[in-house]
Amino acid sequence: MNGYGGNILRVNLSTGKITKTPTPVELARDYIGGRGFGAYFLFNEVPAGADPLGPENKLIVSSGPLAGLMIPGAGKCDFTCKSPLTGGYASASVGGLLTAEIKYAGLDSIILEGASAKPVYLVIDDDHIQLRDASALWGKGSITVEKILKDELGEEFQIACIGPAGENGVPYAHINHDYGRQAGRGGVGTVMGAKKLKAFAIRGTRAIPVADLDAYRQAGMALYKACKDSEGLGPWQNLGTTMVVSWCDEIGALPTRNFAAGSFAEGKTLYGPVIREQIVITDKGCFGCPSPCGKYSRMKRYGTRVEGPEYETIGMVGSNLGIADAQDVAQINFLCDEWGVDTISAGSTIAWAMECYEKGILTPADTDGLELKFGNVPAVFTLIEKIAKREGNLGALLAEGTKRAAQKIGKGSEQFAIQVKGMEQSAYATHNATAMLLAYMTADVGAHHNRAWAITYDLQVGRELVGADKVARVIWLQHVRPMFDTLGACRLQWVELNIDLEMYIPALEAITGVKRSWQDLELVSERIWNLTRLYWAREHKDFGRAWDMPSPRFYTEPPKTGTTAGQITKLEDVERMLDMYYAQRGWDANGLPKPETLERLGLANLVA
Amino acid sequence: MTAQIKLLGILKSYVGNQSQIEVNAGNTVREAMRALNIPSELVALVLVNNTPQTKEYCLQAGDVVMLMAVVGGG
Repeated sequence: MNGYGGNILRVNLSTGKITKTPTPVELARDYIGGRGFGAYFLFNEVPAGADPLGPENKLIVSSGPLAGLMIPGAGKCDFTCKSPLTGGYASASVGGLLTAEIKYAGLDSIILEGASAKPVYLVIDDDHIQLRDASALWGKGSITVEKILKDELGEEFQIACIGPAGENGVPYAHINHDYGRQAGRGGVGTVMGAKKLKAFAIRGTRAIPVADLDAYRQAGMALYKACKDSEGLGPWQNLGTTMVVSWCDEIGALPTRNFAAGSFAEGKTLYGPVIREQIVITDKGCFGCPSPCGKYSRMKRYGTRVEGPEYETIGMVGSNLGIADAQDVAQINFLCDEWGVDTISAGSTIAWAMECYEKGILTPADTDGLELKFGNVPAVFTLIEKIAKREGNLGALLAEGTKRAAQKIGKGSEQFAIQVKGMEQSAYATHNATAMLLAYMTADVGAHHNRAWAITYDLQVGRELVGADKVARVIWLQHVRPMFDTLGACRLQWVELNIDLEMYIPALEAITGVKRSWQDLELVSERIWNLTRLYWAREHKDFGRAWDMPSPRFYTEPPKTGTTAGQITKLEDVERMLDMYYAQRGWDANGLPKPETLERLGLANLVA
Repeated sequence: MTAQIKLLGILKSYVGNQSQIEVNAGNTVREAMRALNIPSELVALVLVNNTPQTKEYCLQAGDVVMLMAVVGGG
């Protein structure tokens, strides 16, 4: 099948059985690839009510039709499973070189099933596929393990691996790839750890079939030329995502001290140009990328190096923890990477604990003597290790994430557990940014910015404005942005270099031989979106409107400082936005898809 | 005694889709944006002669300023 690796690989960790079947044409037609394949396999193959950490859960690793080809940023890989953090749908994306190698090995998805009795790692070398003993790797950090496997197997192998947090069931453990890129969110690494799969390594040598080679080269080169001609290329490559730190600080979107505010008075030392000057040593890109936004940094004070820190990490383990030093933030980044936890969820959970401590809800007796005040860098270093090991009462508590930890501690701490659906909100403060708040409320994995990012739109049309157009914008973004994760490509060339979306259409047609429009692609995205909604409803019997509510902080506690001081979103506006959102999506008042919506999307057969 | 302001992406729409505008030196970048009706809060990055500067930078004659908004986030 043109544009595809052509096969679905299944590896049963319980039995060791390995099977390969052709990728169904209908699956490619209706779900395209990447997160579409993941959602399809999750819904149809993981039984209702499955324990996320049990053998019934599956970890589905998927590439897409653009991946591994000469299309800008065609290096995106999707990991899907039932989330141990939320109990719902988890999908996490990683860049780097992994997805290309999956295609070159003749694969589109790798479905990891069952659970091994002892630690193993999987080696895929074209058709030679083997499970090997990983006893010697168990307990090691994720960056360390990647290096060991590269040394053992060779540089041509691409590695995905977990750290100790994934082994120990921390529900926000990540999967590491390419020395510091992560499929970070929702606990995909936890599911890998529960299967006792420490790592997988893959090398492929096949060509990807392309329908029209000349048209593909022409469309691909046109995309590259547009990227190279973009005036935004230089600044974007220079600073990457750190470009927005100063801007978020200015507009009140930089999470500060557990989202108590959106501006960080001490934060100028975390601005992009300062990070670049103080710690960045080189740029780092993913497969086929003309605009490498990754940064590799050296922390002289600690004798360590890390890929990053990206904006999200700076926000969540920097300003949100009251920490303003670039090397400290980068070192926290490094520790999260090596121990194997998502920097966003870890930062949020530690910030929640710090607020508990400063309010007297947690005392030194609860924190094993740690003085958990905002800005206490050594305490954060200690906590990351404790969380990854689930060590002591505090490590075990914070290893649960903010929602469960707050439910356990109570005493009003639920009010400042900054999460939606059990997933910690990523690094945009939304006291007065209603489209972005709605994006977080309705994102299909929990409070993550990947699906829709709307802060600039909020500023353009009015931050407080609540209306049908704003809701429609969020829905459009929720269809277009994740389509890149479905196609197996990076969205950042579109969003940061202003590449015309229409330029991807001839490339996709030349590669697959199938003519598609963006209208068609958006319909596929809508199908996937509704399928994941059905999944949430299937897994949580009480799922509905209440699950879409944001942290009360954003409608009850206006910041006392910074740009958004005194500003807040009204609860009635939160409710109004949900009403409009459900109506536009064709969902009922409780946020569940109506039968006619499912019929239109070809999903009616999935509900009883 | 002027400076050039280059506008990227959505910022062009605030100045009739022009991509480059000449402004008087002596004002700050923020003042220049105000005079051009460009909402300063939309501007995520100010580069003056390819060096990042704040919006309080005072424009010098011959400066080339690039203003960039962020449309997509991470």
